[in-house]
Amino acid sequence: MAKANETIHQSVRLRIMAALCAGEPGDGGLDFTQLKSMTGATDGNLGSHLDTLARAGYISVEKSFVNRKPNTRVTATRTGRRAFADHVAFLRGVIEGNSDAE
Amino acid sequence: MSDSATPDVTADDAARALADIDLVTARVRQSRIYLLTSSALILWGPLIALGYAVTQFWPSKAMLIWPVCHLTGLALTTRLALRTPGERSRRNTLTVVSGLLILIAFGLVWSVVLGRMGPREMSAFWPMLFMLAYTVAGLWLGRVFVALGLGISALALAGYFWAGTWFDLYMAVINGGGLLLCGLWMRRA
Repeated sequence: MAKANETIHQSVRLRIMAALCAGEPGDGGLDFTQLKSMTGATDGNLGSHLDTLARAGYISVEKSFVNRKPNTRVTATRTGRRAFADHVAFLRGVIEGNSDAE
Repeated sequence: MSDSATPDVTADDAARALADIDLVTARVRQSRIYLLTSSALILWGPLIALGYAVTQFWPSKAMLIWPVCHLTGLALTTRLALRTPGERSRRNTLTVVSGLLILIAFGLVWSVVLGRMGPREMSAFWPMLFMLAYTVAGLWLGRVFVALGLGISALALAGYFWAGTWFDLYMAVINGGGLLLCGLWMRRA
């Protein structure tokens, strides 16, 4: 049975993972600015949540320069996609009343 | 990792979280569609404007410039599709290119073979054919596509009746400029 994932369940991190998993693997992910607009988080807040997700191995963060401007590109790892899918299954289970979280 | 920690999640919390996920997922997908479409519109806008401008000032070259514009547009759109990251997205974009080919084939059959249209009718028919596709696609992809399709079609129709001898130049601005502006707007949206 699916279990809750505390790392992902936090609302900003949930939005970050939802945004990154909305695309398919190999689509290049999203950059910091896009993630900021998708999640509604501030720079500092988003940065700190990205650190948490990266430490958990759920996302990979690549920093580079695009047209001489710094660019932070974030993608969901395979582990992250699986963890997110499991968490979504857990949430559905809670609604259907067959999860072990309640 | 903290997978083992189990936060208390009520059915209401779960429903809110799932609604949040749906919202963000829809937003990301729309933003990807906008980004891809904006590149295509920015590429087609100037080509269409060029086609109409040449038709206006050198009408005898119209039969040459339009195939050149369409083939260039198709080649660049195919290149754009092939460069789209992600297998599924690339396949979807190539499907759009196939759709363009079908529209062009349909347009050629009706404008050249069956319809026997005059130059002015051709100048109004082609944009309205493509804008019909935008309008229908907009029923799934979003209101901005419907607005673009209906807006340019209405302006093309108005120009057909009232733009007089400057109809092709008017269409260069309305159709070419409209596609370009909409593409730039989508890029920023």
